Amino acid sequence: MHGNAEPIYLDHAATTPVRAEVARVMTECLAGDFGNPSSAHSWGRRARARLEGARVAVAESLGAEAASVYFTRGGTESDNLAVLGSARAVAGGRRPHVVTSAVEHPAVSEAAARAAVEGARHTVIGFVDGSFDMGALRAALCRGPALVSCMWVNNETGLRLPIERIAEECRRHGARLHSDAVQAVGKIAFSLAEIPIDMLTVTGHKIYGPKGTGALIVRSPDAVRPLHFGGGQEGGLRPGTEDVAGALGLAEAIRLASEEATGESRRLAELRDAVEVRLVEQIPDVRVNAGDMDRAPHILSLGVAGVDPDTLLAALDAEGIAASGGSACASGSSEPSPSLAALHPGDTAASLRLSFGHLNNESQVDRIVDSVVRVVARIRKLWGS
Amino acid sequence: MSGSTARPRRILVAMSGGVDSSVAAAMLVDAGHEVIGATMKTFCYGDEEAPASTKTCCGLEGIRDARHVADRLGISHYVFDVEREFTRDVIVDFVEEYGRGRTPNPCVRCNSNTKFRDLFRRGRALGCDGVASGHYARLDRSRGRPRLLRGTDPSKDQSYFLWGLPVDFLDLLHFPLGELTKPEVRNRARALGLATADKPESQEICFVPTGNYRDFLEKKLLPTHPALQPGAIVDHAGRVLGTHDGYSGFTVGQRKGLGGGLPERHYVLEIRPGAREVVVGPRHLLDVGGVVVGDLNWLARRPRPGTRLEAQTRYRSPAVSCRVVACTDDSLELSFEEPARAVTPGQSSVFLLGDRVLGGGRISRVVQNHGD
Repeated sequence: MHGNAEPIYLDHAATTPVRAEVARVMTECLAGDFGNPSSAHSWGRRARARLEGARVAVAESLGAEAASVYFTRGGTESDNLAVLGSARAVAGGRRPHVVTSAVEHPAVSEAAARAAVEGARHTVIGFVDGSFDMGALRAALCRGPALVSCMWVNNETGLRLPIERIAEECRRHGARLHSDAVQAVGKIAFSLAEIPIDMLTVTGHKIYGPKGTGALIVRSPDAVRPLHFGGGQEGGLRPGTEDVAGALGLAEAIRLASEEATGESRRLAELRDAVEVRLVEQIPDVRVNAGDMDRAPHILSLGVAGVDPDTLLAALDAEGIAASGGSACASGSSEPSPSLAALHPGDTAASLRLSFGHLNNESQVDRIVDSVVRVVARIRKLWGS
Repeated sequence: MSGSTARPRRILVAMSGGVDSSVAAAMLVDAGHEVIGATMKTFCYGDEEAPASTKTCCGLEGIRDARHVADRLGISHYVFDVEREFTRDVIVDFVEEYGRGRTPNPCVRCNSNTKFRDLFRRGRALGCDGVASGHYARLDRSRGRPRLLRGTDPSKDQSYFLWGLPVDFLDLLHFPLGELTKPEVRNRARALGLATADKPESQEICFVPTGNYRDFLEKKLLPTHPALQPGAIVDHAGRVLGTHDGYSGFTVGQRKGLGGGLPERHYVLEIRPGAREVVVGPRHLLDVGGVVVGDLNWLARRPRPGTRLEAQTRYRSPAVSCRVVACTDDSLELSFEEPARAVTPGQSSVFLLGDRVLGGGRISRVVQNHGD
């Protein structure tokens, strides 16, 4: 029982609170520059200026051209647009080919499945001996033009996909590459100027920005068809009156996250490692998911044998530890996660994801470790394992 | 005396989304306890086609309603997936019992196994020192070990479903509704502004939302199972009166569905799975003199032969006076003071002394006439 102790939030990979700097920028805009950027009058011009300012800011933070930034309403929308929109743009009677990794977020994997229903070929690239199967990617790309969608950092395990090598492979075969970088921004310092990625998904709410905001960076917009209709906004790729305050919030969140990425990722890695080392030491029969692989610093995913996953999360919550299973989106269902199945085939251990961020610091490590160890032991005893 | 105790506890309350468990949770909150709601996801409707109007509990709508109520009460709420346990302990048993020509009580199995066992285990995992449900039953804690009593409202009393509780659970159990009537519960639900106040009662077996359990059995049993094969309808003297297309569709005491051509007012007296025969006869032949009960569970001391007590052999049937003929670890034989009607193998028999539930078991067979 956590009694009066403050609960500890360990679910930053699910979402994060809006930081003060972001809230300030948004509040100013909501109250003052409320105009519709498409309007010809001064209110419209002011809003348009703010929106374009946000576009430039996002581009600068990511090392991209301002013209390649298309604001969307979040990560899922950007992923859908990149995958399904690209498949639908394939012309000339050619059969589109969508290639995805086996650990994609459903926003990508289900969009690819939808493309397949519409006639596309869909190839899934798995993992061999704990490594992304580069040979299978190469084989898939030899079949002709393709859209490859590989996330940068896996949301369930923190696994880092070798995006530089994948990008190089795609460039060599003339394939287009989309990457969902939702969990990478702010944790990995990068510049698109240095990596040949054609499309990149970013979102606000994982990096202390507002929910419902995101962008798709698109280098060649002619290769993407819109999924929404009814206006010319965002170059026609995402029609609908622009959320100017949201765009400003997103831009500020990305700017701060990118600036702070190097320092923050070091801090998070230290926290994560401190917890990981002690949990692995103190809990028998526990595995770090993707433990031997290259991982981003903010996610610790554990495979805990012999516990009921729902009970584990509920009991931790009752102790004041807010964690999640594989991912928040899949909770409530006991279906094994495709990502974990791809990385650890045949494994039935419950997965526990602790994801670190601004709301965590070193002083919490003892209590986190103590609670998880105690709850796991208690449940195993009750379940007789 | 039954519901809450003075000391505030951390209590895990089973919330189906229905009005009873919602009010039970609200009463525990009012009593000052730290209440945590739990909804057990027992099965998935998935391929079973359930008309929306019958999805009154256990399903996804139940989970949504329970969440609303928990939000309204400001308490934590969790969904626990116990589909595997429920299938193993309740559905498999249900199908097997019908396959054996018996008539099971899945709600008793659920309470004895899934609902309370799984709830207690999760309660302990969550550091709770109490577990509660919205059953209409009472616990008398006035002397020593708690005694399970029938609910005050005879029309809602649900103690019949609770005989299978492990006796050591009673210490930690709470039934906040035990002294209320259903209209009182509905009024409280309305006063609390609970969304479920006027929700219809769940009547059907939750995993057969259509109420057509014959269809359900046909999906779960092999097509070659004897329970689904045609057989004879015979009278008590062995005369063949007609045919049926599978004994799984019948239960003792049933009148409907016997087909045409039978004499007026015939009732199912017995199912003989070995011969695939359904035995029918006039109403007075439904009366039996005694019963042998197996799978016993005692919430009080086991009675000696000669002890007088009452037995309830169907939900909502009155308890009848009887005498213990024999009692071992595995089985209890009772002789009824007055003949009892439509006593059905597979159904529960609950043993009572006035309001107190002494224990219960599953009816293994009936004894026609104890005078002989």
